[in-house]
Amino acid sequence: MSDVRRALIWFVALVAIVIAGDHVLAWVLHKVLMRSQFRYSRLYRGGNSADLIVLGDSRGVHSFYAPAIEEVTGLRAMNLSYNSMSPRIAEAILMDYVEHNRPPRMVVIEVTSSIVSGALASELQTYAGLSPRLAALYAEEHPVAAVAGRTFRLFPLNSGFFLEALHYMWQTDQDWIHRDAMPPALRTRPRNPWRLVPFADNVDALVRIVGLLHHRGIEVRLVIAPYGPSNVPVNVTAYAALITRRAQTPVWNYVGAVTDPDEFADQVHLNERGSRVFLRMLQRDGAFGMTSPPGSMTPFHSHPHGGSQ
Amino acid sequence: MLFNSLPFLAFLPIFMTFYWSTSGRARLWVMLVGSLVFYAWWDWRFLFLLLFSSLVDYSLGILLENEPEEAMRRRLIVISVAINLGLLGFFKYFNFFVQSTADVSTALGLHPTYNALKIVLPVGISFYVFKTMSYTIDVYRRTQKAERDLLRFTTFVVFFPELVAGPIVRASRLLPQLARDHPFSYERMVSGLTLVASGYVRKVAIADSIAPLVDIRFAHPEAHNAWSLLIGVYLYAFQIYCDFSGYSNIAIGLARILGFDFGINFDRPYFSRSFGEFWTRWHISLSSWLRDYLYISLGGNRGGTWRTYRNLMVTMLLGGLWHGASWTFVAWGGLHGLYLVTQRLIGPAYQRVIRVLRVPSVVSNAFLMLLVFHLTCFGWVFFRAHSFSNAFDVLWGIAAIRGARLADVDNKWRILKCAVLIAVMLGFEATSFLRKGQRAPEFSPAWRLAFVAACAWVVLLFGTFSGNNFIYFQF
Repeated sequence: MSDVRRALIWFVALVAIVIAGDHVLAWVLHKVLMRSQFRYSRLYRGGNSADLIVLGDSRGVHSFYAPAIEEVTGLRAMNLSYNSMSPRIAEAILMDYVEHNRPPRMVVIEVTSSIVSGALASELQTYAGLSPRLAALYAEEHPVAAVAGRTFRLFPLNSGFFLEALHYMWQTDQDWIHRDAMPPALRTRPRNPWRLVPFADNVDALVRIVGLLHHRGIEVRLVIAPYGPSNVPVNVTAYAALITRRAQTPVWNYVGAVTDPDEFADQVHLNERGSRVFLRMLQRDGAFGMTSPPGSMTPFHSHPHGGSQ
Repeated sequence: MLFNSLPFLAFLPIFMTFYWSTSGRARLWVMLVGSLVFYAWWDWRFLFLLLFSSLVDYSLGILLENEPEEAMRRRLIVISVAINLGLLGFFKYFNFFVQSTADVSTALGLHPTYNALKIVLPVGISFYVFKTMSYTIDVYRRTQKAERDLLRFTTFVVFFPELVAGPIVRASRLLPQLARDHPFSYERMVSGLTLVASGYVRKVAIADSIAPLVDIRFAHPEAHNAWSLLIGVYLYAFQIYCDFSGYSNIAIGLARILGFDFGINFDRPYFSRSFGEFWTRWHISLSSWLRDYLYISLGGNRGGTWRTYRNLMVTMLLGGLWHGASWTFVAWGGLHGLYLVTQRLIGPAYQRVIRVLRVPSVVSNAFLMLLVFHLTCFGWVFFRAHSFSNAFDVLWGIAAIRGARLADVDNKWRILKCAVLIAVMLGFEATSFLRKGQRAPEFSPAWRLAFVAACAWVVLLFGTFSGNNFIYFQF
């Protein structure tokens, strides 16, 4: 047999083995993914009956510590926030949640996530096979990779989400939060004044989310969680007013409500202690109350300790 | 064009089709044009520099061979070295020297004004300049015949697998291979593809996955605890190894498929038991170049102990500078020079102690491997840092290990993923290392089939597809 023919046979065998192995391995790993306790595996597995859902980016993760919410409110809470999750992605996640699970009674949204671009989109591929909404968002951001993901089944599992799902195979991910206080270097590092600049499509998505929730009779809380003492954005009042106006729903603005650096992990995120302090404030102010009609609130909530109303 | 980019994946089958459907000079033309397209994809304007360098050394090679007078030959080789080093000096080091001179002047109380030029570093210049320079030196030494065929010589300089980041394949190895046709070989295709696949795993799955973890640690060392920084340094040791050895494997594998033999460029360097051994295993084509054209030219070990040490230091300092126009690279080279000198100073005493204490060789070897690896990692801090203060921030951060908690390290799962991939790679390397230095046996096509398929799955599942540059492009 000529070398060219042998090489062709070898190459065809290689392609066949790669594709077959890809499908078999992906099938096994997908089973593993769906058994995980990671928040999105739980979401798409279904059967959740949380009373309160939290959406947001990393500030949503750190400000709304789910075990503390349950302690403070007595409600079953599930935090679906994730680092860099924009409202556009949150919209798809929320709609998938209510399709696969019992709808919650309340949804809390950390609205500074509107300044986040679509960085999380690259992670969405892992669950894109389970959600046409995530698949569409992913294909919009990564058209070539989306095609690759449809060709090779292992490729969608190439993500931080999949690694996290492995990590949370037998334990909940809802109790993950920074527990240490901000390092001294971060407390003293000088910071320039900065502004919250929302992406227009994120604000549009936020408006759609609020509309959907109102339509379904689900209570919604739009919240600005505390920033570090020396990191408060200069335009937070105008930002809150913009979101309030666009979503026709008041924003609960706690931007400067926590001032002790020991209650922050860094200048952007609360730590566990700070989250507990913040959640007690929200509970005291009635944010978790199911009966308070949105219309009874002031245009956006002014906290007595608020830093920048 | 990057090996890990979509344009290259489109370029390669087109090139292969033309390559295998031609022979003789037509194939040389295919190689030349293909290589120029490969290079021009980055910036076509620098093709002229590449062709100028080729033309100069082609001409000087012939003149050197034709010239009977030793004095004239010496003048010609000086011209060749001056032009090559001049190109390198201008494009790579001009601003560095101007800035350094200004810094020294300022330190002396003078206040010079200077203007840095906006100079773009041509990709691969350090590699092709060293390649052409070694050619003319070999012709001068009469160990290499001058190439009279301009097409063949230019193809030798620009051959795309090794053009932009090595290995530095010398004329004595490549020119004879370019003088004959290479028929398609099934065995070469399979073994070449195996190397290419392992190269992609190293680059795309390991090095590129490590890159962001290292970048954030060196960008803000103050925001990371000691464990996090220590892990960052270890990871960098494997990032640079997998990045460059990955590139080398892809280059060598592609060349093998085309019928060429480049030799090896990395030979399990982190299993080295001494720094002398390390430099016979790390970037072999550069270290042997520095040995043959710099260290030996300086006198090597022929002038007594102290001259040997001086020559080692000079070679390593210049080797460091070759990597980049920064004093941190010089410091890295200097550290390796010191390691080599110290090893020569205390090596015999260490061996006597081992013999007297009857320490089993396996224990001694393991200790030496760990020592060499950790001292290498120490050097990598300077190599990776963007300044001395950055390097010392990292080192001081690691020194504050007391009180730091491993649990506080971020991205543990990404780190664990990289650690597992590194462990598997080292497992493969250890297996061949434990064969008492013998090279791996020739594996069957079926075994290679399984290996390449496994590499494809690893790349699909763990690869990072952000089109990261290869680290050695900047050198």
